Amino acid sequence: MRLTSLLIATVLLASLAVPSATADIDFEAVAARAFEAGRAAVDAGNDTVALDHFERALRAKADDLRTGSEYRQAIIRLRAYDRAIAFFEELVQKHPKAPNAHLNLGYAYVDKSPDEGAVTQVLLANTALEHFSAALEAEETWLVRYTRGNSYLYWPPIFGRTQLGLVDLERAIEIAETAEPRSYHVRAWVALGDGHVRLGDLEAAHDAWNRGMKKYPNDGELARRLSTEDAQLETLVNDAYATDRRVDTDLSPIWKAD
Amino acid sequence: MRTLAAAGTSAALGLALTGMMVLAGAALGADDAPKAAPASADGPRFVEVSEAAGVRFAHASRQFTGPHAAVLEMFTEGGAIVAAGDVDSDGDDDLYLITSGEGARHHLYRNDGPAPDGAHDGLPRFVDIAEAAGVAGGNGEETLVSDALFLDYDNDGRLDLLAARLGAPILYRNTGVENGVPRFVDVTAHTGLAKLFANTFAVITFDADADGHLDLLLGHYFPAENLFDLGTPNVLPNDLDRAINGGGASFWQNVADSDAPGGRTFVNRTKEAGFAHHTGWTLDLGHADLDNDGDQDVYLAGDYGTDRLFMNRGDGTFDDTTETAIGWDTKKGMNVDMGDYDRDGYLDVYVTNITDEYMKECNMLWNNQGDGTFVDLSRETGTCDTDWGWAAKFADYDNDGWEDLFAVNGMRSAGEKNYIPVLLEMILTPNIDFSDVNSYPDIEDMTWSGYQKQRFFHNLGDGTFRETAGAVGLDNDWDGRGVAVLDMDDDGRLDLYQASVDRPARLFRNVTPAPGQWIGFALEGAARPGREGGSNRQAIGARVLVHAGGEIFLREVNGGNGFSSQSTLRLHVGLGALTRVDRVEVHWPSGLRQTLDASKHGFVAGAIHRIAEPPPAAGDTERPRS
Repeated sequence: MRLTSLLIATVLLASLAVPSATADIDFEAVAARAFEAGRAAVDAGNDTVALDHFERALRAKADDLRTGSEYRQAIIRLRAYDRAIAFFEELVQKHPKAPNAHLNLGYAYVDKSPDEGAVTQVLLANTALEHFSAALEAEETWLVRYTRGNSYLYWPPIFGRTQLGLVDLERAIEIAETAEPRSYHVRAWVALGDGHVRLGDLEAAHDAWNRGMKKYPNDGELARRLSTEDAQLETLVNDAYATDRRVDTDLSPIWKAD
Repeated sequence: MRTLAAAGTSAALGLALTGMMVLAGAALGADDAPKAAPASADGPRFVEVSEAAGVRFAHASRQFTGPHAAVLEMFTEGGAIVAAGDVDSDGDDDLYLITSGEGARHHLYRNDGPAPDGAHDGLPRFVDIAEAAGVAGGNGEETLVSDALFLDYDNDGRLDLLAARLGAPILYRNTGVENGVPRFVDVTAHTGLAKLFANTFAVITFDADADGHLDLLLGHYFPAENLFDLGTPNVLPNDLDRAINGGGASFWQNVADSDAPGGRTFVNRTKEAGFAHHTGWTLDLGHADLDNDGDQDVYLAGDYGTDRLFMNRGDGTFDDTTETAIGWDTKKGMNVDMGDYDRDGYLDVYVTNITDEYMKECNMLWNNQGDGTFVDLSRETGTCDTDWGWAAKFADYDNDGWEDLFAVNGMRSAGEKNYIPVLLEMILTPNIDFSDVNSYPDIEDMTWSGYQKQRFFHNLGDGTFRETAGAVGLDNDWDGRGVAVLDMDDDGRLDLYQASVDRPARLFRNVTPAPGQWIGFALEGAARPGREGGSNRQAIGARVLVHAGGEIFLREVNGGNGFSSQSTLRLHVGLGALTRVDRVEVHWPSGLRQTLDASKHGFVAGAIHRIAEPPPAAGDTERPRS
């Protein structure tokens, strides 16, 4: 089974059970039509209209990772972060067991972060982590483990969360080792090494990157880190996790990969 | 904008130079082919000379009492203040040093010039005259001196003193020198300031309404609650990025009052001036003519929320242009200073914020675009990171023709345990009320952004700076607050005083072995005691443009820019390799503009020159502004 379908399709079927009065509604079809309408609006440069379509699609299919991601990218372009947060908050209220709804809600908090002050960024990041954890509670996937683990790395080490990130990233690697290989899985090895750098353990960092290199010998990020002088690694990694820049939460590499 | 024509200003130019003092240095020979002024490669050098100069002082923080003592001490981690000014009118700058303990006495160090025996290579000796001068007090049971500002508010030629406080301020009037000691008298009760109760952290003075008299702008940090006897626990910021429950700012117009000492008083015109809507946590203030229209504009640095920029309409009322000029920010604004670091003819603004391992705000070096907007170039210039910033001052410390920056920093250097993780737990507590003093964990003996080294940014003359604090001798790790820049020994090399919390004095003598050429100016405005119009006596707000070798060097006299500090009123211009000045333009606060030929008026490099504004002609009540 392809990862995308694993992530997107299966989990919510049970939660989409509806009262008999609406039993004949084909939610999959409603969601698909709304998604396509949203995509068309985006292509036409009308993000505001796209939001309405994407929201309709997500109401019909709350756990649709791709729709949630496309929706958030439109939100980012419009800087309408509070709308996304309110929408996903409502969605997870109705679908508390939908992992990708929680995931997208967490991302929505991350998306808002660059427009906020330093302390508010901490509050947003913490709330995002809560929803990543809720997603993990609903279902463990490579994406959730990687997302939460990577999120911990954005916290300055003084806050004591980097080690938690390493645990998540090691688990993401375990999942990747047993799953059908995907090019984006390499990110877990990259991040694991970065986490070790954040904690000052360059030996462990090189070990993580070398492990990843065996599986993904052509990966540019791994190669860049492994070719960087030790004295420059901290700068490279700290720059990668700088909190004053937007974190890329676009999930399209998942369905564009391989 | 005033447009009344004034006759005879050109004719008056010849009278402009009423006196010239060559205070130091030798006249330099003419150079028929002046060279451009390159940035020096080495930068300045400083040595610490407090003990040798007789400045024996140590700051002590206020110890609060009661259940919220630790939190209030944490939020009032200031009080280490320095103000430079010539209080005895003898031509050199003296130093007023503030401490914070209850009942603790401040020090006013009179600069007595070099020892007759030539000890310490001409280093001035300082003598504490605070008690005799009457300015040692102010730290009461429920008051704390929180900023100090010398100003001649009554235009009598003597520097008066405003002590801003948590509580009511004190205005001291300088009644003259007796036996070498200036005598200050508390005249607060005769002014509108007596009605003010606020928690002020910053005060600046300038002539906002161009009436020839210095007005006051006070920056208030906490809301107007008595911090020493809390009536409410909600005295802290209601939001740590966008707080709107601070003390804001208040504007005090200097007006005539025949019953008041000196014939002047201050009246609260906050609303009329346009500052009333600002309710942030004002930590510092700065003023300058940012749009080159002849009047003084204002920048407010806000802690826990946005800074604000107010542009003067020319009549002492202001437009809040924050949104279009700089945009809204969420940073922890700590300091404001102005300088034309890129020599493009527009004053730029430097604001320190907090940049540390847990918070990456970056400072702001607002590059003045000349069209009412500013672009932050702190990253591009290399001045982004000063850790937990406090005061920072522009000046050309090595006389290479480019203004450098000295920035002090550090919040609280204490025990090994770090307060940040403890504070984080509070911040992440659901539904926590940040404004409530009960919400904050006790800091005990923990360190919070402590042991941070000061930064010296050497201007390389290409739009960038290089951090060289270690090389120049300024990389101490004390918790700095205020910085005063002055030339205490009149040797043409700018010296520094660093005020640090709970630490002794740090007086840095500039001993740069091969500085560039320089020229200095001491300005005196044509004041009209008892009347409106003219310039304020101190010439605060006056602008000097030094033309030399095809280069133009811009300076303005400011009244208290920079956190917890006031620097010399003299203007100092490093000339680099240039040995000759061509002409000097002076834009007086009155609106008068003079262009003075350097050779005609004896403006030689290597000396400090006194320029007095010519008195207004009969019937001339106002002068044009361009």
